[in-house]
Amino acid sequence: MSNILEISNLTKHFGGLTAVSSLDLHIAQGEILALIGPNGAGKSTVFNLVAGVYAPSEGTIRFKDREIHGQKPWDLCRMGLARTFQIVKPFAGKTVLYNVMVGAFLHTGSTHKAREKAEEVLATLALDHLRDNPAGNLTIADRKRLEIAKALATNPDLLLLDEVMAGLRPTEVDDMIAIIKGLRDRGVTVFVIEHIMRAVMALSDRVVVIQFGQKIAEGAPQDVTQDENVIKAYLGGEYGAA
Amino acid sequence: MTAVIQAALNGIMMGAMYGLTALGLTLIFGVMKVVNFAHGSLLMVGMFSAYWLIRLTGIHPYLALCIVPPILFVFGYYLQDVVIKPVFKAERQVREPLTVIIVTTGVWYVLDNLALMLFGAEYRTVRTAISNKSFALGEFIISVPKFSGFVAAMLTAAGLALFMRKTKTGMALRATSLDREAANLMGIDQYRVYNIAFGLGTAIAGIAGCVLIPFYYVYPSVGVVFDIRAFIIVVLGGLGSIPGALLGGLVIGLIESVFSQFMASTWTEAIIYAIFLVILFVKPSGFFGHKQDW
Amino acid sequence: MSRKQLDHTLLALAALVAFGLPLVVTSPTYLQILILLFFYAYLTTAWNLVGGFAGVLPLGHAVFVGIGAYTSSILTLQYGVSPWIGMLVGGLIAALVGVVIGLPTFRMRGAYFCLCTIAFAEGIRVMIENIDALGPLRINGPRGLLIPLKDASFWHYQFMSKEPYYYIILTLLILVLALTWFISRSKIGYYLAAGGEEPEAAAALGINVANCKLLSMALSCFLTALAGTFYAQLMLYFYPKGLMGLDLSFEIAFIALIGGRGAIAGPVIGALVLRPLNEFTRIYLSDMLPGLHLVIFGLILILVMLYKPQGLTAPLAALYDRLARKITVPGDAR
Repeated sequence: MSNILEISNLTKHFGGLTAVSSLDLHIAQGEILALIGPNGAGKSTVFNLVAGVYAPSEGTIRFKDREIHGQKPWDLCRMGLARTFQIVKPFAGKTVLYNVMVGAFLHTGSTHKAREKAEEVLATLALDHLRDNPAGNLTIADRKRLEIAKALATNPDLLLLDEVMAGLRPTEVDDMIAIIKGLRDRGVTVFVIEHIMRAVMALSDRVVVIQFGQKIAEGAPQDVTQDENVIKAYLGGEYGAA
Repeated sequence: MTAVIQAALNGIMMGAMYGLTALGLTLIFGVMKVVNFAHGSLLMVGMFSAYWLIRLTGIHPYLALCIVPPILFVFGYYLQDVVIKPVFKAERQVREPLTVIIVTTGVWYVLDNLALMLFGAEYRTVRTAISNKSFALGEFIISVPKFSGFVAAMLTAAGLALFMRKTKTGMALRATSLDREAANLMGIDQYRVYNIAFGLGTAIAGIAGCVLIPFYYVYPSVGVVFDIRAFIIVVLGGLGSIPGALLGGLVIGLIESVFSQFMASTWTEAIIYAIFLVILFVKPSGFFGHKQDW
Repeated sequence: MSRKQLDHTLLALAALVAFGLPLVVTSPTYLQILILLFFYAYLTTAWNLVGGFAGVLPLGHAVFVGIGAYTSSILTLQYGVSPWIGMLVGGLIAALVGVVIGLPTFRMRGAYFCLCTIAFAEGIRVMIENIDALGPLRINGPRGLLIPLKDASFWHYQFMSKEPYYYIILTLLILVLALTWFISRSKIGYYLAAGGEEPEAAAALGINVANCKLLSMALSCFLTALAGTFYAQLMLYFYPKGLMGLDLSFEIAFIALIGGRGAIAGPVIGALVLRPLNEFTRIYLSDMLPGLHLVIFGLILILVMLYKPQGLTAPLAALYDRLARKITVPGDAR
């Protein structure tokens, strides 16, 4: 199994609106793939389809060679697919450690083991100095890290990161890039949605560009950003000739 | 066979009045996205208001219809403003405003026990100008108070629908029910809208009260029975849907009336609950409800 | 001493006092008052497993008290089964009914669950009030069931004096508190808390929130039914309106809410404060205005929800915390 995620002909209609149309996409194990596109292109819908929030109208999604469309998010998590949310959802009334332990409980019934695992994850993400702080009191950058920590504690094979860079300052973006690269080194395949091009260029092995729910380009970051169609999509027709 | 049709006619009229009580509940939910647990008690307040008004002044129930609902509108408006709004504001961020539910339950408790304290537990009834009147429709007998109730229910539902569609306030209510933040940005004061919605819902409970008093007993916990009925109807018809509330009411009224021709009323109750359970399992959004509303 | 030592010492002291009380308080009247106090504390703590931990509001829980009482009593009266066994059967039936109510409603808005608990509680109560017999089972409608005196023995769950009842309910209370404490620290407790606060985030972390809620509902209903059997054996008489009515359901919920529904000790503290208050106002004010004490109770609920929605235990716990810090040595602070 070299492709951990395979999407074929994925289509999603919301009433009269087609949010995703005949999308083909694959991610090899150990890759970092970025999904980019102008606002409203359908990127979050793709994530939600993969993560089990929506069921596809047409097409198939295969995760680790198993068809997964229609499965519930909690079953997918148990299979090794974790995600973060664009608008972070910490358990604000609880401590940072509690938050990550919730994720860590996935593979154990013992509170002790869950705590150990959570502390290990917090150390990886340099959050352990905040372990007893209420999650609601964290800065936005720390909240984004916490979001990743929670998902990481479930020992995923594939991690979906939804615009984790949004709202971060440049130094924070650099830190986050290092963290995500570190995830890959730990054996996690990463699928990101990102708007911040610097991060996309620095992180991804491959980039897929979608617009109006359809794929318009795919390839290495440098190639994709020079692609005529991509430039047109982001900047409008006049900039197409390059 | 005649008996069954007579029962069906009674059931339709009673059902319309059940629908009327459900109307206020569905309106408040539709606009505020909150289930008002105090609704039955507001109906009880309406019934007692009508009772005392008629008992003390002897006026015709149709006249009471002009007096009681406006009073109840004001009562509901300020109840929402003083007691419920602060909790709403505090729970703005929360996905499920549970404390609002608790507070409305508290209001229910206080109102019912206040009535118990002031009026005692006995069942009361009052003779009105129309109480024993009836007219003939072919071979069937139609009781006047029930028929008036039926008409009042239909008129109220139609009036409410028109209000929501044609008037500025009505459109403000609908806008808030669809997206409260967008409505806020358009200059609609969401809390004033809530006050109005609650006041309206209470006023409708007042109409129901006036309409029921000529032939129904009133006692402090009368609201509970109607509240549960109203909730079943609202689930059946779809939370937030005006035609759904009426239709649901008619269905329940019919079932209740027709089935009690063939079996004891306990089993009719059981059947209604069984249907309720089935709906919950199979199609919880009811006839006209939207899937995402719940 | 350290904070942990202080907490443990105080707990041990409280247990000692509770167990030793019947040696000092010998009047059956006062013992009865204490028994009922613990009875309510037990019911509100069992309620808290759903109302506090699962984050939904069951408002018809008294129906499970009734199911427990009716099941064990019918089995005793008509089939000679020991009430202890009947108690377990009642618990299982209650758990089943709770799951049936929860299955469709836990996937929906919290309000649906609330109203369904009320609807089904009243529905079942009204049906029981209107049925004299269900096949071979004698239910007796609104008149309720009377349990005749047998020879007092543990097996028959009947005793000549109040002390055994006192110890039974005290033991049950301690068990349910321990269970609550244990759950709050376990996987299911974490999952319930997460699911209650952010259901989407919880689902993305592998939590089937509805199933977790069902589990806590089943447990809560089971435990509540056990108290029903206890009540039946204590009073030897009960009837639907008194034991399964909304009055009891609301009282249980309100006490837990005023006390503090997320906390472990919240419901107990609520019961210890509110039950005496309710009884007191009922005795002294009911002559003038029957029902006034209930109005006051409702107003207290509204006021607490407006100003301290977490309940009264939170400020009390903060106070205890401040005092404890003054007299303990920091170190093993957690």
